[in-house]
Amino acid sequence: MGMRIDHDRSRFKEIVRGRIRQNLRKYVTHGEMIGRKGRDLVSIPIPQLDVPHFRYGKNGAGGVGQGEGEEGDVLGGQGEGGAGAAGSEPGGHILEVEVSLDELAAILGDELHLPRIEPKGQANISQEKAKYNSIRRVGPESLRHFKRTYVEAMRRQISTGEYNPSNPNVVPTRDDRRYRSWSTVSEPEANAAIVYMMDVSGSMTDEQKEIVRTEAFWIDTWLKSQYDGVETRYIIHDAVAREVDEHTFYHTRESGGTRISSAYRVAVELMESQFPVENWNLYCFQFSDGDNWGEDNNQSLALLRERILPKVNLFCYGQVDSPYGSGEYLKALEGAFGEERENLVLSEIADKDGIYESIQEFLGSGK
Amino acid sequence: MTLKDQLRDRLAALPAGGEQDIVASDGDQTLRCGLASLDRTGCEFVRLAVETPRLAGAATDRLQKIAADLAGRLTYLLEPISPVEVDHEQCVVQMRSSPPQKNDDGTTYYELLVRAGGELSLCRFTKAVGNVRQTVPAQVTREVLLRLAGDLEAAAV
Repeated sequence: MGMRIDHDRSRFKEIVRGRIRQNLRKYVTHGEMIGRKGRDLVSIPIPQLDVPHFRYGKNGAGGVGQGEGEEGDVLGGQGEGGAGAAGSEPGGHILEVEVSLDELAAILGDELHLPRIEPKGQANISQEKAKYNSIRRVGPESLRHFKRTYVEAMRRQISTGEYNPSNPNVVPTRDDRRYRSWSTVSEPEANAAIVYMMDVSGSMTDEQKEIVRTEAFWIDTWLKSQYDGVETRYIIHDAVAREVDEHTFYHTRESGGTRISSAYRVAVELMESQFPVENWNLYCFQFSDGDNWGEDNNQSLALLRERILPKVNLFCYGQVDSPYGSGEYLKALEGAFGEERENLVLSEIADKDGIYESIQEFLGSGK
Repeated sequence: MTLKDQLRDRLAALPAGGEQDIVASDGDQTLRCGLASLDRTGCEFVRLAVETPRLAGAATDRLQKIAADLAGRLTYLLEPISPVEVDHEQCVVQMRSSPPQKNDDGTTYYELLVRAGGELSLCRFTKAVGNVRQTVPAQVTREVLLRLAGDLEAAAV
């Protein structure tokens, strides 16, 4: 029989999930949870929830019915008003709940109606895994196999005539102890590589980068919930491109002009050298304000058509509005690829509120 | 006779009206002004450019100095213009209104390109949501147009 507290706990988790669901758009849009991301958990502030709890008092500081005063004394009394007016704002009771990234991905998938991804081709990346599939006589105590140990002790007692069925006390000795042991097996897994490309030229401001950062967090969360192993690479570019780490990706601002083809070249090299298309499910997410310097469009489109799209499961281009409005590159892509865009998804992100729909557009194809 | 003086004379000689192109030369410098309309006090220009071989082969450092100098001079356009991007490969400095003008119809801004090939050109663009950006005529008084011509001419030396 399950304990009452387990029931209450699962009910509370359901309430939390419901609140997250209700406010998912807000969380997606504002990205306030990204800074609270731990290794596998994120803390989400839920202002509308409060959990009742007991608090200990101070020992010896009195209690009910103790202290000065006589029976019949009026409690409280009319005190003199202090300086300042009463507050008009609601009290801040913010409860932070920890939600696993997998759970968050599930909520995101449900709310945005995201189809589960079907990995391309066969899973042919071998991953070394430890499997506890054997028993040994030695090992750490944490891995002691109690059942096997007692069976061994019982067997010994029976064979030596020590075992008494009317008083079945089985006491294992050191020699009876058995421990779980593992062997390394290689298992085929469907793996994915995500390549993020961002324009960091002078026209991309911090606000645009924040949009990219928030959207990338959700894309990561979803794809990691769909694949066993996800490798992520980051490329920044202005007129030239280079591969960088995650921190540099989100915090760099250059003053150079915009040449999208430079990022495509680095992405192609990266995919060809590190992620052969036969073994990897490849995803590219590119973000720019679309203000590509005119003559570069032809080179960019050719690279995309001939060297990137044939390799990737999905290529997503998100065009964020800069202070000068949205650029022309999105239109160039629409013009070049028309409606027949099997694995190319385009999205225009006007502001933070556009992130929600953009994620839906990017991940809604189930590729 | 400077490009600015020549432009003043040409404007004075032109009748009020619609599209007209003005080309003036002073030594190796050439001024091109594409007018969309002209009246007694003001005009609309689509493009104002000064071409000079003196900037041929100039390094981006020099172009950036010119751009910074222009950013200090062009303070009379209601929108401050400052360098936004520098293309080191093609040696071009892109300057734009900072901040651009935003209204219900979209965003409107000046764009001034300083090219190593030897050209300083000023245009005005508008970008409405969902549309491609388009050149729009910049409305200025004759005095401002002459001042612009003088500043571009001085920067191109």
